[in-house]
Amino acid sequence: MIRCDLLIVGAGPAGLFATYYAGMRGLDVVLVDSLAHLGGQVAALYPEKLIYDIAGMPAVKGRDLISGLVEQARSAQPQIMLGEECATIDDQSDGSVVVTTSTGTEIGCGAVLITGGIGRFTPRPLPAVDAYTGDGIHRVVAPAEEYVGEDVVVVGGGDSAVDWANMLVDSANTVTLVHRRARFTAHESSVDELRTSGCRIITDAEILEITGAPSVRRVLVKAADQDGIETVPASIVIPALGHIASLGPLLDWGLTIKGRQIEVGTDMATGRSRVYAAGDITDYPGKVRLMVVGFGEAATAVNNIAVVLRPDEDLFPGHSSELPRMLATESRG
Amino acid sequence: MTYVIGEACIDEMDGSCVDVCPVDCIYEGEEKRYIQPVECIDCGACLTACPVSAITSPNDGHDRVWAVDNSDFFELALPGRGEPIGSPGGASSLGKIGVDTPLVTQRGGES
Repeated sequence: MIRCDLLIVGAGPAGLFATYYAGMRGLDVVLVDSLAHLGGQVAALYPEKLIYDIAGMPAVKGRDLISGLVEQARSAQPQIMLGEECATIDDQSDGSVVVTTSTGTEIGCGAVLITGGIGRFTPRPLPAVDAYTGDGIHRVVAPAEEYVGEDVVVVGGGDSAVDWANMLVDSANTVTLVHRRARFTAHESSVDELRTSGCRIITDAEILEITGAPSVRRVLVKAADQDGIETVPASIVIPALGHIASLGPLLDWGLTIKGRQIEVGTDMATGRSRVYAAGDITDYPGKVRLMVVGFGEAATAVNNIAVVLRPDEDLFPGHSSELPRMLATESRG
Repeated sequence: MTYVIGEACIDEMDGSCVDVCPVDCIYEGEEKRYIQPVECIDCGACLTACPVSAITSPNDGHDRVWAVDNSDFFELALPGRGEPIGSPGGASSLGKIGVDTPLVTQRGGES
């Protein structure tokens, strides 16, 4: 079992700043995120967007802000676990908690701070695919050579759908792209490449059903402007409809959930012992969902957690400008 | 104020915005789509997906009439529905709602 003082769930801006702050308070941190990278939705959704409301930064690109936050967080020397989802939480007799991840890793910690933002990303649902229980559904695409001889149906109209169709069109027996709209949201050059390739493109059409056992044999496609249903031979279906955020397993942690948010007190405590939250995921009267507010909440949460774990310490940590750790970090940079 | 879908969306049924929204907060009326202001996270993904530039960001400033129209869709009891839609936490669970705000119904009728 991995052991730490504080488990931080979510490596977006609030989680990264909380990591730094926990380091400043001398806490050992494990930082977990379900995405494969640090920076949360800023890195995933708008790395190139300019942000104007970070204190002291008149204008900063999403990716530059994240890179600064990551550098700051590294000073806490956290153990970082990416691509892992925190699934369950269990109270221990000594007051600590054990959190188990989706891959079965157990993390024993003094406290948990949830900085999960809008939740974790999962593939967007597609009823026909979700209803099919056989083999041959590839949510993660393998190297192209593994599709030699296969009849592949890719579903979607964004960059990943078009890129995967382009990638597989030379090695697979056939590639069919089914998109429910007339227009693609993928890059124009990729769509042009696809149109001149051997890929069959069916637009304005939805997948009604996938059949075959034990693995995919046929996909039934219904075009919006036609009455009939077309049967497309298929051995592999690749759903590429992008991702959607939801709170996922956190819903079962016994927290007070309101809409997409966790209710917290002024000390960022959730009401469940040793579990705190900060950033966009929190809610309380007067909450404003901005990164700067999340940074403040992260500091509030970590300081309150520090006192719970070490009752002899003060809630107020002292000023960072007076801490030797800070001076050491500055001299290294 | 979050992102807002304006007049250009009326009768434009492209729907790419729905496909790119990471929180599924774009709801389909009958002739127009609407952004749920509480659920929108201001990521801006929909802005570039829209083929008719019907969406405005908070930084660009909104036409007040259409900002109100977006929130009206969720806060008013629309014709044929007993209660406001509110914040269901995801559009795909509802599908096409099949009714618009009074403002949109009126404009659609004129065209």
